[in-house]
Amino acid sequence: MNDSRHVTIVMIEDDEGHARLIERNIRRAGILNDIRHFPDGNSALNYLHSTQEGPSYNGPALVLLDLNLPDMSGTDILASIKSNEKLKRTPVVVLTTTDDKVEIQRCYDLGCNVYITKPVNYESFADAIRQLGLFLSVIQVPEIEGGA
Amino acid sequence: MRRTPRLSEHRTVNRLSLAAIVAGFVVLGGVSSGGVFILQRNLEWTHWVDHTYQVQNAVAHFRIATEQLETARRGYLLSADPSFEAAYRATEAELVRSIGRIQHLTGDNGDQQARVRRAFALERELIASDDRSVAARAGGGVEPQRAFAGDTGVETMRAIRALCDEMAADEHAKLAQRSAGRTNTVRSLIALMVLGGVVLVMVALGSIWVIFGFTRDLTASRDELRQLNEGLEKAVRARTAELRLANEEIQRFAYIVSHDLRSPLVNVMGFTSELEAAAKPLGALLERAEAEAPQIVTGDARTAINLDLPESLAFIRGSTQKMDRLINAILRLSREGRRVMTPEPVELGKLFDGIAQSLAHRAHEVGATIEVAPRLPGLVSDRLALEQIFSNLLENALKYLKPGRPGRIQVRAEARGGRVVVEIADNGRGVDPKDHERIFDLFRRSGAQDQPGEGIGLAHVRALGYRLGATVTVESTLDEGATFRVSLPAVLSPEAAAA
Repeated sequence: MNDSRHVTIVMIEDDEGHARLIERNIRRAGILNDIRHFPDGNSALNYLHSTQEGPSYNGPALVLLDLNLPDMSGTDILASIKSNEKLKRTPVVVLTTTDDKVEIQRCYDLGCNVYITKPVNYESFADAIRQLGLFLSVIQVPEIEGGA
Repeated sequence: MRRTPRLSEHRTVNRLSLAAIVAGFVVLGGVSSGGVFILQRNLEWTHWVDHTYQVQNAVAHFRIATEQLETARRGYLLSADPSFEAAYRATEAELVRSIGRIQHLTGDNGDQQARVRRAFALERELIASDDRSVAARAGGGVEPQRAFAGDTGVETMRAIRALCDEMAADEHAKLAQRSAGRTNTVRSLIALMVLGGVVLVMVALGSIWVIFGFTRDLTASRDELRQLNEGLEKAVRARTAELRLANEEIQRFAYIVSHDLRSPLVNVMGFTSELEAAAKPLGALLERAEAEAPQIVTGDARTAINLDLPESLAFIRGSTQKMDRLINAILRLSREGRRVMTPEPVELGKLFDGIAQSLAHRAHEVGATIEVAPRLPGLVSDRLALEQIFSNLLENALKYLKPGRPGRIQVRAEARGGRVVVEIADNGRGVDPKDHERIFDLFRRSGAQDQPGEGIGLAHVRALGYRLGATVTVESTLDEGATFRVSLPAVLSPEAAAA
């Protein structure tokens, strides 16, 4: 039986503070899933595509993606996920400070599932993260080979 | 590079042209007055030549009359025919008349007058001698042959003939001299005219040379000017492109900076909230400690938890919020800077009616009226930018009223030679003259800071104005109101909009 608890949350975020705040709010929302944090694009891509326990080989994941990364643009990672046969159904939530219309449009074109602008207002921020809990509960986890 | 004719050369050419014209007229005048003079001389000479011919005629007539007298006398002496006598008498009278005529004609010539006097004497002598012989013949008796034998008239006749020859020779000499004089005047005339013609041709050639030279210089400088102009246009285009690049660079910079500034701000805000959340259990702990073990609660700890902590958190929160507003303002300015202006026909009257309507509620709240003058001109510009500019100015007018004085805001506009000048005048608290430029700077404000705002509105107005090719200025006296004046191009060209 599929359980949303098996979904690993992959957080790609270079700002440690943002990562900590996101994690705290996720926990506060009562979401107890594993959270894997990557502060740069390369290590994240490596985990997503090549690692044994990564989502390519080992089960469903939810990606939280910041667009401003030190080594590459978040949209490159998004494109890479959506063009991978095994990963393309993985939900990607873009969570960034950019509220430029063109950028948002581009992310949706690349297959992003949700786009959340990080508000400076902390209450809105916490709310937005809590919404992820709802989102997580409705994820259709694909059948894992060999069964759970 | 070719020489450019200077002002002094221009003057030289003008002077030369004037000199050529004057010289031409002088030559023409000289030739014509000289010609008149020479022609007068010619007429005089002709007159004298005619006169000489008349004198020659008269001398010839005298000679003929003398011969006729002799012929008539001889005829009479031979034939005693009375008809000869009659002819003789008639010729005698004719002879006297002809000498008188010579005397009259040669009144100017002393030699001829002397000869005329001699002719008179000879003539009288001849007539006297002839009369004697005629009278003797008429008295009869005298043979014709004898009558001739003692005739003294023959000598006289010879003398008269010689005298006539003398007179004729004199006149002939005079005729030659006068004809030569006349011919000379004609030659002088021809020479004068040729000389005049040559001088005129030289003046004309000189003028043409000067004018050609000047025209060539003018053409050269015109070509040069055109080349310079083209170069200038190229330079302006290049400069415009550079400016556009620089502008884009600044916009991009503002955009990136504002985003990167936002990132740490999210942390500050977030962790401030976390601190606040953490302060709550701390507060609860303090209460419990005071209730259960008051001896462990120090005054310092109480002050820290109840006063210092909330106050510090409030300051951090307030400052972060302000910083967020400032960053948002920069972001908005940068976005506006990148927006493409699309010129379209805009009726200012309708535009202001719309803005006044949207502000009607606020105007009512503060007890102010907005009066839009009738018949405002239209223009071609970016509607959205105009709306933002004028909304901002009207909002400011409503915001900065003089307390205790009912607000009265007037909107006027007029077309002034290719531009439209819009004035928004209020009777509010006004702007100190030293702040007239400062208020257009980003984040700068003037007067009492009793109204919300970050000092962004007017900077935004001016930045938008520049993009529309407009200038925004203010005229104001403190406490008496302010007039904001926006001078816009009546037609915003698409090229200017793209810059």
